[in-house]
Amino acid sequence: MIEFLFFIEVVVAGLLAGTMYSLVALGFVLIYKASSTFNFAQGAMVFFAVLAFVGFMELGLPFVVSFFVTILLMGLVGFCTERLVLKPLMNQSEDTLLMATIGLGFVLEGLAQAAWGVEVRRLDLGIGDFPIPWIMDSAGLFISALDLTAGLVSAILIIVLALIFKYTKMGLGLRAVADDPGAASSIGIPLGNIMLLVWTAAGIVALVAGMMWGARAGVQFALVDLALKALPVLIIGGFSSIPGAIVGGLIIGASEKVLEVYVGPYFGGAIEGWAPYVLAIFFLLWRPEGLYGEKIIRRV
Amino acid sequence: MTAETDNILEIDAIEVIYDSVIAAVHDVSLTVPRGKIVALLGGNGAGKSTTLKAVSTMLAAERGMVTKGTITYDGTPVKTQNPAEMVGLGMVQVLEGRRCFGHLTVEENIIAGAYSRRLSKQEIRAELEKIYGYFNRLKDRRRSQAGFTSGGEQQMVAVARAMMAKPKMLLLDEPSMGLAPQLVAEIFNIVNELNQKEGVSILLAEQNTNVALRNADYGYIIETGHVMLHGTAKSLLNDEKVKDLYLGISKEGRKNFRDVLRKESALRPDLHQG
Ligand SMILES: Nc1ncnc2c1ncn2[C@@H]1O[C@H](COP(=O)(O)OP(=O)(O)O)[C@@H](O)[C@H]1O
Ligand SMILES: [Mg+2]
Repeated sequence: MIEFLFFIEVVVAGLLAGTMYSLVALGFVLIYKASSTFNFAQGAMVFFAVLAFVGFMELGLPFVVSFFVTILLMGLVGFCTERLVLKPLMNQSEDTLLMATIGLGFVLEGLAQAAWGVEVRRLDLGIGDFPIPWIMDSAGLFISALDLTAGLVSAILIIVLALIFKYTKMGLGLRAVADDPGAASSIGIPLGNIMLLVWTAAGIVALVAGMMWGARAGVQFALVDLALKALPVLIIGGFSSIPGAIVGGLIIGASEKVLEVYVGPYFGGAIEGWAPYVLAIFFLLWRPEGLYGEKIIRRV
Repeated sequence: MTAETDNILEIDAIEVIYDSVIAAVHDVSLTVPRGKIVALLGGNGAGKSTTLKAVSTMLAAERGMVTKGTITYDGTPVKTQNPAEMVGLGMVQVLEGRRCFGHLTVEENIIAGAYSRRLSKQEIRAELEKIYGYFNRLKDRRRSQAGFTSGGEQQMVAVARAMMAKPKMLLLDEPSMGLAPQLVAEIFNIVNELNQKEGVSILLAEQNTNVALRNADYGYIIETGHVMLHGTAKSLLNDEKVKDLYLGISKEGRKNFRDVLRKESALRPDLHQG
């Protein structure tokens, strides 16, 4: 029984961590849908956003103000990216765009460090990384308050975004652009505005993910690499699928924790770092288009 | 209405170049009188799509440029506008190959056409019902994913979607492409109805000369980026050369229009060339 409870704990902790991966993967999916490019700058955006947030807090701005100012800043980053990078490259190949996002990543990393320095910052959200007493008492499970908060916040953000895409005019515009930018443009959907919205949404997602990770491990450059955990998530979920990003994140989160705890000792521990990639490779062999990879619909 | 606004569209001697080197249209002039249907006819690669994209300003996205001549839409010179602005001015292009949003439902596709307009939910519903009045078939298919509907239905979705933008002028690029004659007739009936009841002016690019001329008021025949011949639809339908080359009533094999004209103009110098 104790064994089983422990297993549940591991899985729950994994799922909660997984929502974070889902969130970051969602950032990738958004940009992939709108501009058919893998945004290599997503990790840098996570780092840039949360460092900016901490920077504003240090200036003495209240939490909520810092949060919204950072969102505005990410909107500005999106605007500059659209005007200075995406628009001039509009007719270029997807490879060119890919290179451009790699370049953008370096620019953001450089800017962030130039503006706010290189040392690791602490981010205190006022939520401790300790087991929640009432869950401990009632179910006998040790679930960290920080994990639970991060999981809930991610889940809410994902649900809100999904609803926006499904039910708002803006969301309809984005889905139209994702399907056929030329046709979208022909009926007067302004591609530039849609790109701006997508990059701002990806910026918000990056900020929230960065805050949750930063609260646990400190705000530091390593966040850039942590964001690349989204890669196996995308391989499993499919690059263009929002549900895929969500489910993929949960699978990676849960399985990496389970593997770490039960298989890790045989490898001398710390397999969390690479186990997701191995998992992704097996997945790639089994289902190359990803769990939710959409079969391309042929036009009759 | 003044004399100059009698024509909703005037294209005057345009040349269009892709990638700064490839000339696709050399010298095309045409006018669309307000409320009329004008057919732009010609074979594959003649420059029909390029001409339409010059008008809708969709060219820029394909690295194309109008390098000579002028385009005037509804009294406004078409120059630096972008497609969204043209839609705002009431000019909407239905691209070649239908181009539905495959993952969206039929109804979402049509609603997307209203993106440029500020409409309330109720206004959108009212507009939808009006559109379904013309496209009865689409009403039954409203919840289907557009990518899984038939070619004819997708063409209807593309036209219905464009109509949601409340255009004064539609540019239709080969709506008959790849469709059975029955469906082509159905679509042209709807196009005619839209022209009559909604008063929308239409510039129609087609390879299907016969069907296009039967449904148009006026026609232009272009070849390799030059206007070869133009006239009322009726006169073109009865023109021996058009019958010979485009309507498949020829005794000999299909030739080049330019050659026929050259041969004939040696005999008859009064021939009206574009
Ligand atoms: N995006 C493009 N880039 C370069 N050349 C093009 C492009 N689009 C069309 N062309 C060329 O321009 C000419 C006219 O093409 P198009 O306008 O598509 O003809 P049509 O619609 O009558 O079939 C063709 O020779 C074609 O190869
Ligand atoms: Mg064409």
